[in-house]
Amino acid sequence: MLAFLIRSLEAAMIFTFAGLGELVDQRSGVLNVGLEGIMLFGATLGFIAAQTTGSYLVGFLVGIGIGALLGLLHGFFSITLGVDQVVSGMGIWIFGFGMTTYIGNPYTGPLGLERLPTWFGISPFFFLAIIMVAVVWFLLNKTGWGLSIRSVGEQPSVAEVSGLKVARIRYLCVIFGGVMAGFAGAVYGLYYNPVWNYNFLMGWGFISLALVFFSMWNPYLLFGGAVLFGLLWQLSLNPQMFFPGLASRYIWRMVPFAMTILVLILISSKWFRSRWGATTPEALGKPYYKE
Amino acid sequence: MPRTRDAEPIELHGDIWKHIQPGEVILDARGITKRYPGGVLANDHIDFKIRAGEIHAILGENGAGKTTLMSILFGLLQPDEGEIYVRGLKVNFRSPEDAIKMGIGMVHQHRKLVPAHTVLENILLGHPKSRGVINVKEAEEEIEAIAQRYGFRVDPRARVWQLTEGEKQVVEIVKALYRGAKILILDEPTSALTPVETERLLESIETMTQEALGVVPFITHKLPMVLAISDQVTILRRGRVVDRLETAKATEQILAQKMVGRPVIFDLQKPDVTPGKPVIQVENLSARNNKGVIALKNASFTVREGEILGVAGVAGNGQHELAETLMGLRPAEGGRILFEGQDITHRSILDRWKLGLGYTPAERTEVGSIGDFTLVENVAMNYYFDKRYNHAGFLDYGGLRQLTEQIIEDFDVATPGPDVKIQTLSGGNLQKIILGRVLSRQPKLVIANLPAQGLDVGATEFVQRKLLEARSNQAAVILISEDLDEILSLSDWIAPMYEGEIVDIIPAAEARKDLIGAMIAGLHREN
Repeated sequence: MLAFLIRSLEAAMIFTFAGLGELVDQRSGVLNVGLEGIMLFGATLGFIAAQTTGSYLVGFLVGIGIGALLGLLHGFFSITLGVDQVVSGMGIWIFGFGMTTYIGNPYTGPLGLERLPTWFGISPFFFLAIIMVAVVWFLLNKTGWGLSIRSVGEQPSVAEVSGLKVARIRYLCVIFGGVMAGFAGAVYGLYYNPVWNYNFLMGWGFISLALVFFSMWNPYLLFGGAVLFGLLWQLSLNPQMFFPGLASRYIWRMVPFAMTILVLILISSKWFRSRWGATTPEALGKPYYKE
Repeated sequence: MPRTRDAEPIELHGDIWKHIQPGEVILDARGITKRYPGGVLANDHIDFKIRAGEIHAILGENGAGKTTLMSILFGLLQPDEGEIYVRGLKVNFRSPEDAIKMGIGMVHQHRKLVPAHTVLENILLGHPKSRGVINVKEAEEEIEAIAQRYGFRVDPRARVWQLTEGEKQVVEIVKALYRGAKILILDEPTSALTPVETERLLESIETMTQEALGVVPFITHKLPMVLAISDQVTILRRGRVVDRLETAKATEQILAQKMVGRPVIFDLQKPDVTPGKPVIQVENLSARNNKGVIALKNASFTVREGEILGVAGVAGNGQHELAETLMGLRPAEGGRILFEGQDITHRSILDRWKLGLGYTPAERTEVGSIGDFTLVENVAMNYYFDKRYNHAGFLDYGGLRQLTEQIIEDFDVATPGPDVKIQTLSGGNLQKIILGRVLSRQPKLVIANLPAQGLDVGATEFVQRKLLEARSNQAAVILISEDLDEILSLSDWIAPMYEGEIVDIIPAAEARKDLIGAMIAGLHREN
């Protein structure tokens, strides 16, 4: 039972890392649906680097580095070139999916390093995730940097005439989003599930993406959602623990994704939005061109 | 100069703003030239000087180069030639940030504020003080001090989307002053204000000039405003300075003539028309706005043949919902609409067009026209159902083309021809063609929603003349306008609106501007 809970919270911390980056990214007006691709890259390259050098540190750094690069790439497409952000993000996902399958295939199997240490049975990264949630919330709501980010995501032309550099702020935010996604991927591949396999991330990037919408762009709600989905995920793996004999395990495996769809439909509904106030960043997904 | 604690914004631009003498030249623009791709000269060697403590209005029609000049002064555009000196120091603005740092503040006609943010957040945005953790209390006090000094009222915690246009403008002005603006550029400062708000703004501007700020309003259509407040006026036409004069020596006639390049008739001759039978009778009509709130409450009125009903009000008081409900673009929540005695409350939009209603929307580019379509195709929008141009489902493009050419001629539309895309037309010409296609149907009722909004003096006069012409031809006209002068000079009956209600219906002969101004500001209710 305790192991079940711990695994759930550890899944939640990975959703949280990836989701926080995406949340900041979206708050600045850039949508990155390629989260899954960046996480796959972070997980795979981090895995290979750690296995080759025998150093976890190198693995995490490589994961973060590739995340930053892919964030930059998405920024170049969506900010500088003004490409449709969904198209660019989908491109990154397909690229990530294909490339990591090709690169990672020879490394199929376990990492083969000593497991990372835990505190009281849970990864220290979990506490890092909680701290980051608070830090990101504070940054977004109590500081001038956060004000700049939110303004760029709401009305970029207003930010521009107020003397801000819209493109620079958006670049910083997508790169931050990439770094967080790459790091989340590395935590997954080096700690949570250190066995490389074809598509071993299993759609966690998409769940993280959905969580950002679920959170209504609030870091605390994001964390709450992440814990909920972590539990749901764990339940889908071990349904017999709570509901022995109820439905086949294949149906249970579907539950988190079905829930994702339901949640997205609910929060996109007119009823929900008018009840909770439209918090969607006004300029989300829209390229900005100087007048 | 009164000193309040912390009221003095931190110096962003070194010492260049120390010891300003009233009357001293603080901004000197020399030979500003801007060419757009395609060779259009938007600004052709424009020179002007702004002095401390002076209100220097820049006057020009749409397309005279005002927007370009404003953008150059604020760093949004870079001039191809020419120099700008701020207190004798040559400056080169690459972005608004550079201009702001040199003490230039801008108050935009289309407000540049984030609606979802609070007033405080909007004012702080981009301010050097907002780096790092924001000290909300201190900032609130400083903003309060500035507001008090100039006689403004602001609530730093209110969200901008809740504010009226006038309150938003105040936020923009305070924002500019908080950033240390010494030269304030105002784009059409009074176009969205009620008379009461205008009065208050002018008082605040007076205070600013006493503190040796330079104030530069850019104005297209409110000529009385120029005369009321400015000391100097520079008039632009086709990208050039055509004249520069002291306001004391100018009259409205002189200014308009220089601006348009030909004499403009101000006193519209309203011919005597004997009203006929009622065309439209509205009874207790109610409707919701886009947010689902009842925005039109129990409106009742009658308009007869040959009458103009002027619906006066500040944007967002239900006039828009009224126009859309009458035309069927918005469902009626209650009440009914009788058109020539026939209940049309639930009839389709197409039926209403066929019955003889005509509508010119306020949103000319979003609702009134399709930018990528040609003039002919846009004219067809009001004719495709007409038996004269639709033969068993086939459109008679030859006939429509002739019709469009006729409209272009009758309505004096400046265009290379009927086959260009309508988005190439300027605002005034676009409105002329929209009005033309409606009036050419000889409708029994014309609903004109903000027909002259944003148009220059020449086009405004033209549009107003055409509406009077429709009235002479026994059409009933519902004129929705935020410009009280327009309402007073055209209407037979005046219906001031406030918060979705028609406050009163007053015969034009008995209407007083101050009373109507108070009614649309909610200060005067009468049954």
